[in-house]
Amino acid sequence: MKEQFTPKIVGFLCNWCSYAGADLAGAAKLKIMPSLTVIRVMCSSRIDPNLVLTTLLLGADGILIAGCHPGDCHYEKGNYYARRRFALLKKVIKTLKIDPERLQLSWVSASEGKRYAEVVNQFTEKIKKLGPNPIQTKPYL
Amino acid sequence: MNNSDILVIGAGVAGIEASLLLADTGKKVYLVEKASLTGGNVIKYEDVFSNMECSTCMIAPKQQEVLQSENIELLTLSTVEKVQGEIGDFTVTINKKARYVSLIDCIGCGMCYEPCPVSLKNEFEQNLSEKKAIYVPCPGSLPNVPAIDPEHCLQLNGKKTCNACVEACAFGAINLSDKDEKIEIKVGAIIVASGFDIIDPAGFPQYGYGKYPNVYTAMEAERLYASNGPTEGEITLRKGDAPPKSIAIIQCVGREQQGYCSSVCCMYSLKLAHYLKHKLPDAKIYNFHSDWCMPGKYYQKFHQDVKEEGVDFIYSPVAKIKVEGNDKSLSIEYYNGKNEKEKLSADMVILSLAMMQGKDTASLSKLLGIEQDTKGFFMNQAIQLGSVDTSKPGIFLAGCAEGPKDIQGSITQAEAAVGKVMSYLS
Amino acid sequence: MSDKIGVYVCECGPNIADKVDIKKILAEISALNEPPEKIIIAKKHKLLCSKEGQDFLADEITKNELTHLVIAACSPRDHDITFMNVCKKTDLNPYLYKLVNIREHCAWIIPDKDEATEKAIQYIRAGISRVTYQAPLTEKELDSIPDVLVIGAGIAGIEASLSLAGENRKVYLVEKTSSIGGKVTRFEKILPHQGTNLDIIQEKIQAVQENENIKVFTETEVEKAIGFFGNFEIILKNIHNEEQKNDFKVGAVVVATGFDLTDPEKIPRYGYGKIEDIYTSMEIEESNSKTGKILLKSGKPPKSAALIHCVGREEKGYCSRVCCNYMFKIAQYLKEKIPAIKITEFYQDLCLPNKADQEFFIDTKNKGVDFIRFKDIAVRQKDKEKFIEYTKMDGKKEKISAEMIILAPAIEPAEGSKDIAELLNISLDETGFFQEAHQKLNPVATSIDGVYIIGSAQNPKDISDSIIDAQAVGGKILTQLIPGVKLVPEVTVSEISDAFCTGCQTCLSVCSYGAIYFDEDRNISIVNEAICRGCGNCVASCPSGAAHAKHFTSAQIYQEVLEAIR
Repeated sequence: MKEQFTPKIVGFLCNWCSYAGADLAGAAKLKIMPSLTVIRVMCSSRIDPNLVLTTLLLGADGILIAGCHPGDCHYEKGNYYARRRFALLKKVIKTLKIDPERLQLSWVSASEGKRYAEVVNQFTEKIKKLGPNPIQTKPYL
Repeated sequence: MNNSDILVIGAGVAGIEASLLLADTGKKVYLVEKASLTGGNVIKYEDVFSNMECSTCMIAPKQQEVLQSENIELLTLSTVEKVQGEIGDFTVTINKKARYVSLIDCIGCGMCYEPCPVSLKNEFEQNLSEKKAIYVPCPGSLPNVPAIDPEHCLQLNGKKTCNACVEACAFGAINLSDKDEKIEIKVGAIIVASGFDIIDPAGFPQYGYGKYPNVYTAMEAERLYASNGPTEGEITLRKGDAPPKSIAIIQCVGREQQGYCSSVCCMYSLKLAHYLKHKLPDAKIYNFHSDWCMPGKYYQKFHQDVKEEGVDFIYSPVAKIKVEGNDKSLSIEYYNGKNEKEKLSADMVILSLAMMQGKDTASLSKLLGIEQDTKGFFMNQAIQLGSVDTSKPGIFLAGCAEGPKDIQGSITQAEAAVGKVMSYLS
Repeated sequence: MSDKIGVYVCECGPNIADKVDIKKILAEISALNEPPEKIIIAKKHKLLCSKEGQDFLADEITKNELTHLVIAACSPRDHDITFMNVCKKTDLNPYLYKLVNIREHCAWIIPDKDEATEKAIQYIRAGISRVTYQAPLTEKELDSIPDVLVIGAGIAGIEASLSLAGENRKVYLVEKTSSIGGKVTRFEKILPHQGTNLDIIQEKIQAVQENENIKVFTETEVEKAIGFFGNFEIILKNIHNEEQKNDFKVGAVVVATGFDLTDPEKIPRYGYGKIEDIYTSMEIEESNSKTGKILLKSGKPPKSAALIHCVGREEKGYCSRVCCNYMFKIAQYLKEKIPAIKITEFYQDLCLPNKADQEFFIDTKNKGVDFIRFKDIAVRQKDKEKFIEYTKMDGKKEKISAEMIILAPAIEPAEGSKDIAELLNISLDETGFFQEAHQKLNPVATSIDGVYIIGSAQNPKDISDSIIDAQAVGGKILTQLIPGVKLVPEVTVSEISDAFCTGCQTCLSVCSYGAIYFDEDRNISIVNEAICRGCGNCVASCPSGAAHAKHFTSAQIYQEVLEAIR
C-alpha cells in the first residue's frame, strides 16, 4: 500500500502584492492546502538562484515564487528580474535531474485572494502528482 | 494665532497623498472621510490605465500608512458641519456618525456578518451584491473594521430586539449605544479633496439603463471585473445564464449635458474593453466613441494596443444612439461615419458616464465659503494660473473636487496643495 | 551569552484559539528549551495587539530580559509596526523580533484543527530559528542641505523657484538661454481659462529677479551633479566661457527643461519649408506678440486660413494635449484681426480634457470657424494656390484652398534631455520625455531620490498644469527636506561586503534607484544607504555572494526554509 505523500513546498511571496493576496485569501477563509510554507521577502527579485537551488537540493518538493504582476512592481522592475532568473533556473534545474515543474513563478496581486488560493492548491496538486523530490540527501548548508 | 494643524476633506487618493506628505513633517492632520473606508473611487478599480497596474497593490500600502501614522487622525463616517475663521485660525465642527464598532477593539475577523439577519444592497458594489447591516464595503477595506447601518439594523431602527452581532463578537468591539459626536477642531489650513460623483444614468432613458437589466454603468462593469468584487471577477449578466458574447461600450454619455469632457472616460473605456477581451476572448467588443481624448505621452499607445486586441471602434454621435431590446438581448441603433443608420445587437451594454461634482459640493462650498464654477465643481483661481487656490486664502483644492482628472492629475494637485500649505504655515 | 527567546501566541479571540490547539503549540515550543544556550518562554495571550496585550508584551520583555521576541499572531501587514513599537518602548531592538502569521496562513485557511496546529508549530519553529539569526539594526540620521537646483527657467522652473525659495532655503535657477521666462513669454495671450494675459507671467519673472534667495544663472549649463537626496554636489559652467564655473551643494534637483516643437519639415506632406505661407503655431504667436499682426508674406492679411492639428502625432505616437486649445486661440486671434477671414480647422481628435476646454471650443466654433475631422491630410501647391487635400472619416476625398496654413506640430522633449538624464542618472521613457518615478502615484519624482521632473519635461502640458507641477514639487521638497531636520533613510537596506566583492558591477546594473556606486580605487561596489530601498535585487544578482539584504539575509531565509522542509 502506498503511503499518502505530503509534499513540502516553499512559497516565496513578495511583501507588496502576493503576501497581501495571501492575506486576503486568509481573511476570506478560503480553504488552502497546508503543504506550502510561506516565506515573506520584500520583492520577488530578492530570490537569488542559489536560494532556489539550495532549497531544492535540501529536499523541497516544490518552490513557488509569487510576485506582483508585470508592471506592478513596488520597486519598479524587480519582478522582471525575477522572471528572467526563473527562466534560467528552469533550465539549470533540469541538469540536476529535477523536474523543472517543481519550480513555479506566479503573479498574484493584492486583490487576488481567490487566485492565490487557486495557485497554491493547483501547485500542491501538481507536486503531489510529481511525487517526492528525488534528491533526498541534504548535502550542505 | 497661527495654527499649523491641517484639515483634509476626503480620503480618496488625493486626500491620502496630501495627508501623508503633511504628516511626514510632524504636522497634525485631520483626515475627514464620509464613508466608512479610505481609498475613494480608486479602490473600486481592479487595474488602472494605462499601465494596467493593480489598483489595490498600488494604493493599499498608502492606506495602511494613513492608519499607522501617528500624526493623522482619520475620522471616518464624518462630515464637516461648520467652518469659521480664516487662514491660520479656522475652527471646524465635524459631525462624526456612530460606527457602532470600535476602531481600536475590532480586529477585523468578520465573525459578526453572518449572524446579522438583515440583508441590503451594497452601494459600494454598485448594488450588484448584498451586504449585512453590519458590513465592510468590500474585502480588503481599510480600515478593516465594519460599520453598522443604523437605518437597517433591527435593533437600532427599533423594529426588533436583536443582539446577534454583539454576541458574535469575541472582542466586545460592538457598541449599539454608540452615538454621533460633534468634534470641534482648530486648523490653520484646509485641503478640499472631496472627489467626484458619476452622473445618474436615469437621466438618459435612450440608453435603456434601468429598463433593460443588461445595461450597466462603467463603474458596475469595474466591480464585475474586480477580483475582490461581487462576482470575484466573473463577467456575468443580470439576466442570462451564460457570460455575454457581445458587449457594446458607449462613451460620452452625459458629456453634452454637462458641457465638458470628463477627460478619463476614453481611457477607462479602453481599459474596460481590454479587461473584457482578456476575460472573454471570444466575445465581440464594440466601442462607440466620439473624439478620442488621450492627452499625454502614454495613452495613445494603449489605444493602439487595445485596437490590436480586436476591439471594434465605431465613431458615432452619442446623442443619436438608442438602445432597445428586452431582458435577454439588446439592440443598438446608431449612425455610422457615413451618417447612415445602422443596428447591431449585443448581450451587454456598458455606459461610460460623465463625471460630475461630488454630491456634497454645494453644501461644502457654502460652509467653506468658497465658490463653485458654472459646471458645479469647486472654482479654482484661474487667474493664479494654477488650480489649487480657491477664492478663500488657506483653503485649497485637490483632485476631482476641482474638475475631472486622472489619478496622476489628482496626485499632482494634492502635492501642489501641500506645497501651498507649507509655504503658508511654515 | 545565551539566547532568551520569548514566544507569545495570540488567541486573537476565537480566530486563532478555536482553529488551532494553542495548548499543544505551547507544549511543543516549550520543549525546544535548551538551557543554558537557548531558553524559551512560551505563553499565550487573548489579544496581543490590544493596549493590554502590548503592555503585557513590554512587561514580559523587560521582566524576562528577553534577547529575542517571536509573536505568533496575524499578518505583519496588520501589526508588524505595532509590535516593533512595543519593542522600541523596551530595551529590545525591534529587529530582534519576528511576527509569525499563524492566522492568515494557518487558522483561517486550514479547516482541520490538527493540520492547522501542525502548520502553526512549523511556522513558529521557523520564526524561532530565524529570529536568532536576526541582527539589531538602528536608524541612521543624515544631515541634509535644504537648497535646491532648478534646471530651466520657463514657467515651471520659475514657479518652482518661487514656491521653494525662502529664508532658510536658497534656489539656484539655471537657464541655458540669455533670459528667463521660457516659451510663454513669446505668446500674445494665454488661454482664456488660464488667466487671459501675460501680466501674471511678467510678475512672476520680476518676483524671481527680486527674490534674494533665488540666484539666477543664465547662459549656463549643469556640468556635474553628484550625490544623493539631501546632498548633491553641483558644478555649473557658462556656455560661452567654459572657465566660468560655479560650484555649490544642494539637497534636491528639479528638472524643468520644457519642450521643443517637432520640426514640420521632417514631415514633407505638410509642405512646410517648401511652400510659402505655411507657418507653425509658434511662428504665428511670435509675430502676433511682436507686431500685433498676422500677415501673409506679401504683407496682406489672409482671406482664408487652414489650421492643421495633430502634425506629427502619428509619428510620435502620442497626443500633445495642448494643441487643440491653442489652435482655437489662434483662430480667435485671426477672427479678431480679420473678421471676414474664412477659417477651417483640420483635426484628428479634439482633445479637451480640462473642464473649461469644451466651452472654449464651442465659443470658437460659434465665431464661424469650420471644423473637419480628417483621416489623411496633405498640402499641395498648384499655380501659386495652396490646397489642403484630405480624406474624411467616411473615406471621401476632398480639398479646399487656403492662403495661409498654420500647423500645430507635436510637442517633443527638449533638445538635450538625454544629456541631462545621463548627468542626473535618471531615465527617459520610450517617448523621450523624462520618466517619472511612478506614472500614477509619483509623477513629479524620478527613480533617483531628490531629483524631480516638472512641466513639459515630463509630459506635454499646458501652462496651468506646468504650474501645478511646480507647486507639487514644492509640496514634495518642502515636506521632505526641512532645514535643520535630519533625514532618516530606510533601515532594512542592502550592504556589500568589501571582502567578497569582486568589482563586477552587476549590482549597479540591476539597481533601479542608482543606490550603488563603484569605488574605482578599491575596485568594489558600495551601497549608498541613503538611497537604497531594500528590495534585494542586488543580492540575487551578486555572483560572489557579497551583497546582503539587511533583515532578509540568506542565512535568515534559510532558517525558514529548513523548517519548511523538515
